[in-house]
Amino acid sequence: MENDAQLKLQAYLDGELPESEAREVANWLARDKEAVALHAELRNTRQALVGFEIGVALPESREFFWLKVEREIRLLEKSEPERPKPSWLSAWRRLLVPAAALAALVLAAQVLLNQSPGGGLATTSSDPGTFTYRDYATGTTLVWLSYPAENDVAQAQPTSTVP
Amino acid sequence: MTDKDHSSADDPALVRAAQRGDMRAFEELVARHRDKIYARAYSMMRNEEEAIDLSQEAWVKGWQRLKQFQGDSSFGTWMTRIVINLCLDQLRKHKRQRTESIEAMSEESGGVERQMPVITVNPTAGLERGELRQRIDRALGQLSEAHRTVMVLHEFEEMEYKEIAKTMGCSIGTVMSRLFYARRKMAALLADLKNKNE
Repeated sequence: MENDAQLKLQAYLDGELPESEAREVANWLARDKEAVALHAELRNTRQALVGFEIGVALPESREFFWLKVEREIRLLEKSEPERPKPSWLSAWRRLLVPAAALAALVLAAQVLLNQSPGGGLATTSSDPGTFTYRDYATGTTLVWLSYPAENDVAQAQPTSTVP
Repeated sequence: MTDKDHSSADDPALVRAAQRGDMRAFEELVARHRDKIYARAYSMMRNEEEAIDLSQEAWVKGWQRLKQFQGDSSFGTWMTRIVINLCLDQLRKHKRQRTESIEAMSEESGGVERQMPVITVNPTAGLERGELRQRIDRALGQLSEAHRTVMVLHEFEEMEYKEIAKTMGCSIGTVMSRLFYARRKMAALLADLKNKNE
């Protein structure tokens, strides 16, 4: 008998075949003695195992076994440090830390720009959204626009360099 | 809940109490299901000491994961799945520790047992329960771990091929092949035991 046929016979015994295939196997069993014998052997083995585990008992008393389980649970709970509950302070800290870092960065940039020789940062009184940096040593002027560009030229050149 | 309440409460009530941190409720659950969990571990491992350790570990894990238990299956079934997974992990460790023998490799592909003559007489017919259990126990002990595991999951846990394949991380074809081999080998071993005792 082919291996596939043997496995199909087993699948039939275990109710794992779709209806059409199960019908085919049933027809096969009706005319093949070898298949009938193998089917009977597989069925006998399966039936012999029914109820085998009933009556298998843990060879330790209820109290002793529980003591071991409980001790292990307590040990694990001790070794796991309790996580502190999130407080309003920690929530604020999460917001304040990046904000403070950003502020420090801006401040540092301003200080550096003000200290650089022959240069300076300035805003124009006519347009508070515009920052200008002049480097007299190289004769360079940088202009930052802090608002979105409104015309095509500005969109093409959001930052202008005036020598 | 008092001790009297614990012993009279049903499993779902005990689980709810244990989920709220009631250790006594969990102790009662352990007492109720410990034999079944141990039996499953023993069937798979065939070693009393290992089965005790693994069933203990399963209960500790059960407590740790208790909040995840939603009641989709019974508590006993849920615990059984935990111990099965622990046993499978342990069996994988065993496999890594030893070199697979040529015999084991031939078992995997079917070996000579596929071609064995069919056992026509039921080797367990007329046996008393105790004698039957003893013989099955011996025969199960002679199967390879992989074949025994498939057999335990199919016959005792009543899992379908697909579920066994998923649990063991192999194909359905492998499950079918292993189960077929295990059954044929079991039949031959039981017949052999019958002949020896006659």
